Amino acid sequence: MELNFFVDYHRCIGCQACVQACQECDTHRGVSMIHLETIRRADSVQTAPQVCMHCADPICARVCPADAIKKTPDGVVQSSLKPRCIGCTNCVIACPFGVPRYTVEVDQMMKCDMCYDRTSIGKKPMCATVCPSGALSYTTLDDFRRDRRGTPVNEWVFGGETVRTRVFVVVPPPTEQMLIQLTTAAGGGAGPDTPADRDDVASLLEGR
Amino acid sequence: MAKLPAQIPELVDAFGPHAHYVPAGGWSSVGDPDRVVKTHCCFCGQQCGIQLKVKDNRVVGFEPWEEFPFNRGKLCPKGVKRYMQDEHPDRLKSPLERRAGQGFVPISWEAALERTVREIRRIQQEHGNDAFAILSGASLTNEKAYLMGKFARVALRTANVDYNGRLCMVSAAAAAKKTLGIDRAANPWSDICKAKVVLVAGANVGECAPITTDYLWQARENGARLIVLDPRMTPVARTADLFIPVRSGGDIGVFHGMLHVMIQRGWIDREFIAKHTVGWEQLEEVVRKYTPEYAAKIAGVPPSLIVKAAELWGPAPTSFVLHARGIEHHSKGVENCIAAIHLALATGRIGREGCGYAMITGQGNGQGGREQGQKSDQLPGARDIENPEHRKIMASVWGVPEESIPHKGLSTVPLVEAIHEGKIKGLLSLCFNPTVSLPDGNYVREAFERLEFYTCIDFFMSETARYADLVFPGALLEEDEGTTTNVAGRVIHHKQVVAPPPDARHDWRIICDLAARLGAAEKFPYQTPRDIFEEIRVATRGAVADYSGITWERIDREMGVCWPCPSEDHPGTPRLYEDLRFGHPDGKARFLPVEWRPAAEEPDEEYPIVLTTGRVVSHFLSGTQTRRIGALLDQYPEPRCEIHPRLAEKLGVQEGDFVKVESRRGAVTVRALVVRTIRPDTVFVPYHWPHDRSANNCTIRAIDPISNIPEYKICAVRVSKTTAPDDPLSRLSSEAGGVH
Amino acid sequence: MQSLPTSPRPPGSVGVSPADGSARHAGGTPTLPGGMTPARPGPFTFSTACSLGAGIVMLLGIWFGSRGLRDFDSALVWYAGASVFSGMGIAYRYSMWLQRPPTRLYWRRGWQFFLNPARLAWNSGRLAGLFWDNFVLQRFIERRAPLRWGAHWLISWGCLLAAAVTFPLSFGWLRFETAPDSQEIYYCYLSGIRVLAFPTDSFVALVLFHVLDIAAVMVLAGISLSLVRRALDRGALSVQQFANDLFPLVLLFAVSITGLMLTVSSHVLHGTHHGFLSQFHAITVIMTLMYLPFGKFFHVFQRPAQLGVRFYKDAGAAGEPARCIRCGEEFGSRLHVEDLKLVQAQLGIHYEMPDGTHYQDVCPPCRRKNLALIQDGMWRAASLASEERTHG
Repeated sequence: MELNFFVDYHRCIGCQACVQACQECDTHRGVSMIHLETIRRADSVQTAPQVCMHCADPICARVCPADAIKKTPDGVVQSSLKPRCIGCTNCVIACPFGVPRYTVEVDQMMKCDMCYDRTSIGKKPMCATVCPSGALSYTTLDDFRRDRRGTPVNEWVFGGETVRTRVFVVVPPPTEQMLIQLTTAAGGGAGPDTPADRDDVASLLEGR
Repeated sequence: MAKLPAQIPELVDAFGPHAHYVPAGGWSSVGDPDRVVKTHCCFCGQQCGIQLKVKDNRVVGFEPWEEFPFNRGKLCPKGVKRYMQDEHPDRLKSPLERRAGQGFVPISWEAALERTVREIRRIQQEHGNDAFAILSGASLTNEKAYLMGKFARVALRTANVDYNGRLCMVSAAAAAKKTLGIDRAANPWSDICKAKVVLVAGANVGECAPITTDYLWQARENGARLIVLDPRMTPVARTADLFIPVRSGGDIGVFHGMLHVMIQRGWIDREFIAKHTVGWEQLEEVVRKYTPEYAAKIAGVPPSLIVKAAELWGPAPTSFVLHARGIEHHSKGVENCIAAIHLALATGRIGREGCGYAMITGQGNGQGGREQGQKSDQLPGARDIENPEHRKIMASVWGVPEESIPHKGLSTVPLVEAIHEGKIKGLLSLCFNPTVSLPDGNYVREAFERLEFYTCIDFFMSETARYADLVFPGALLEEDEGTTTNVAGRVIHHKQVVAPPPDARHDWRIICDLAARLGAAEKFPYQTPRDIFEEIRVATRGAVADYSGITWERIDREMGVCWPCPSEDHPGTPRLYEDLRFGHPDGKARFLPVEWRPAAEEPDEEYPIVLTTGRVVSHFLSGTQTRRIGALLDQYPEPRCEIHPRLAEKLGVQEGDFVKVESRRGAVTVRALVVRTIRPDTVFVPYHWPHDRSANNCTIRAIDPISNIPEYKICAVRVSKTTAPDDPLSRLSSEAGGVH
Repeated sequence: MQSLPTSPRPPGSVGVSPADGSARHAGGTPTLPGGMTPARPGPFTFSTACSLGAGIVMLLGIWFGSRGLRDFDSALVWYAGASVFSGMGIAYRYSMWLQRPPTRLYWRRGWQFFLNPARLAWNSGRLAGLFWDNFVLQRFIERRAPLRWGAHWLISWGCLLAAAVTFPLSFGWLRFETAPDSQEIYYCYLSGIRVLAFPTDSFVALVLFHVLDIAAVMVLAGISLSLVRRALDRGALSVQQFANDLFPLVLLFAVSITGLMLTVSSHVLHGTHHGFLSQFHAITVIMTLMYLPFGKFFHVFQRPAQLGVRFYKDAGAAGEPARCIRCGEEFGSRLHVEDLKLVQAQLGIHYEMPDGTHYQDVCPPCRRKNLALIQDGMWRAASLASEERTHG
């Protein structure tokens, strides 16, 4: 059975087990590739991990002037090839998910490679193995559908650009596509329902 | 006198804490490990399975252990990086003796053991046996916990032995015993997933028991609703179906208020109550006045939240109560827990799949550590030290006269008070860092300065070890072998992964050596920890916490066995009370008519703000281990004072400002973290740091009259903006208690 | 790994598949949006021209450099021929590569900023510094891993050293001769001009006549280090592939070892098997030359683009910063963001949002936060909806 990667940002508890475990991945041991965002600590404890989504047609590779970003036959987009990467950071600022990292010291882009040392031999990626909240998980689609209410979606729309990814995001049914618009608030729109109010203990105490 | 032998910065320089960033063998991914050992995390009570990679007798990395049923490979950041404490540069590697003005100098084992025994004898001869005390820990294996109790009662014959589980879950333990009859989580964690409503009270699950988060989500995927009580919106509370931002210590308001509504609406299982419980009428009488409005005043939340909680909880077909330190760390901690357990009993939802109750034990061996007889009031097997029957059994197991076994001694806080008052002159401690972890830190440090003689066994120079006359280098959990009992009563096996450094010794070996020199060699003939475990099996036969049917082979084969397990062919008992017979002699559970009462120190005009303390995800307890692991330290390098913007505005405090949090007992100076996720009448400071960064400088030395747990979760403070401190202690690195 | 369209499938690249979509962008330009077909010859025509041009230039170079083939050693004709073919291949691939929109942009911009008259002097100084650090010392590789650096430095300088001798020799540009009046003195001619004279028993002679052996030893040492790393490092083991990572080492090993064996044959074994060995050596060298344009070695020609990027970054840093439209923080340079939008348009990437904003103007951290907020909001909305259903 093919194993798939599922991301459920909503569940993240910000514990950073993923960040710490990522550092243990053999292809980049000692350096963590996963992102963990604290959305707005003043207003909320919301946090979110970001792994590489492994696009079917990776924009990072398309904008790379050096042909340095390659995808393996099993659909994993690798870190830039060391001999080729010229450190231009096109990929860093073009990736719709904000994934690649440019490291100044080695003048190279590196990124999440879905723990290729592990997944290429049938093991789970480090982050998805340790994640205690299920924000990151790696399992078969069948098992996922048995255990979870959410729908796995891997089609994203960024304006005029539609991106298909190997990694799924978990959303409430019947969503089939992630329409991305800019928001600073939960729910995707402006208005009173901002996270600032939602997670404000003072407003809860006032019965709002 | 055990005053610090050198200035703190000098001691920090020599012994740390130093944050260490590089694993043994470096960040290399070259070569394969010599072996990969299946064992468990050394930190919290979840005791997650983990595999440690070993190369050249060094722990060089970890690998998730996905087959272990409790955590299935999942880990928190502490679990991931726990392997980095091996080969730590701060590691103590030889016995050290205090030299006033100089610090500590290495001495031989022979001389150190000899001096310890000489001082013990002197103190006990001059001041009586009880003048020498033992403080032990709940992160010790069952074998070591058992040994510490036996050492105190058989070799030292002192009544004064207690352990730091006293600071952790004793309120829950006492409450479970009083209501259900047995001090243990009533259900396996897998029952959480089958519940249709889960109540999490005073447990920051996402940070303090992260693996349990997964169980909560499994339940929710099955349709469960989640209710969370906490003065702070924790990561798990954020996504809960109902978050009740209860005032610290107001929990009984919520529980009784819920019960009140449930009685009104008929969501009470009267048949179950009649058949299997005692005391309902008195409780019903008490609860009558806890209308949502009345209860809401106690809880400090809108009545609607309490009604909503009752509506979620009352009619559900299955349910699970989980609680932790948030309701336990109170001078009414036991009553809080009792009121929580009532919710399970009143609905008859206990003792079957998806229906139950559990305390989330905090310390590594919090469960087993309190069953093996290192508690001031207990003998092994969770036996009662004042029960003549129990005393007789232990006397025969130990081969000593019953009357030679001391009676109930002082629990931790009174024990430290007795040190302060000069009644206790000598101390041996293991696995305990009270100058950081006990309330009223300044008082505690004063007490330690008054000890005539203090020997400390530890693998790092903890802040408390600095007060010692002698420091013995003990062993890390992964350098020794033994069992612990996890949060759900599952006895598991910690393997020896590597050998200790040449001149360090296994803790149990040090204790046996001391016992031998005290003339009790024949009572401590153990050659391996397994010998001790075999004695535990004998000692607990027929007791509540019956380990007699558990063998190490079974543990390995079955990935843990839950007590009680009275014979080798008994499957163990993951779920208690399945036959609806409770632990009391009549088999009935108890309702207890507890009432809410105020905390020992409520805010007033002078100290108008509630301080509550707790943990952060990357640190563990007093931080002796986690502040030394660079990756964990970096995640949360210094304590910060969480403060609501409304309160911050009133105080003229802005994000990142230094604030002085001050109680009648002491103060901490830390930076402010201005966040809307906390009640505006409350501030929060995590307690993992020492000196002027120790939240316990402020906390109050009030204890629960039954469990003797300190009231860490509420005391009165004032908070003021201040300038950046500039003194030698504040200039230390973050891990040593500095601020930057 | 997939081979992108500008790099024809290398020999032995089993199991390698092109990316689903990247083939669309073959050559970079044919599918410009909005019918903006460039009024230039197609990429293949252009590259074929470049390739032919390179071949002609090289042949002319050989003709004139060897003074009308007077200095050309016919024994080396296979080497010279292979070099010309290799040069044509490199020119073809390089020009294909340059036609990809991102590459073309960086190429143009790099030169534009480098040749800026106001900064040319400063730029030249910087170039010298970068050259020393990145090319001579290869410090950036050292920072990745010392073992990798050791291996790479030895292999690269071994190869460059060998190339510096063999190409001029095989092209007939370089010629050694004993002095007409003494068997003890050697003359070295470059295109017929005597540039060096030295006694046969001198140190210079020793070094000059064994320069290929020295190079071979360097390369072999580098290969050994490289193999040690590739055999032991679990990370390398998991991502390396025979065709891309090991085959080039095999080629270099074959060239070096057969070259060394030639020396051994001449000096120790009195010419035993010399004929066979020299043919075998020639085959390995020719294979390597033929492999140059296609495989891993092509990075030698791509890599100097790194220097252009530095000048581009300098120019970007000197100009206006890009500000995120979501958080207002700076991320990179305005120049870079605007250029990238152009490149994206050429590649058919459409980040224009319905509200008139451009997704490229959102900084990477905000992109991550934005995704999480949207997904979190969906769950919160779903939970509110289900609550309303439950409680009416």
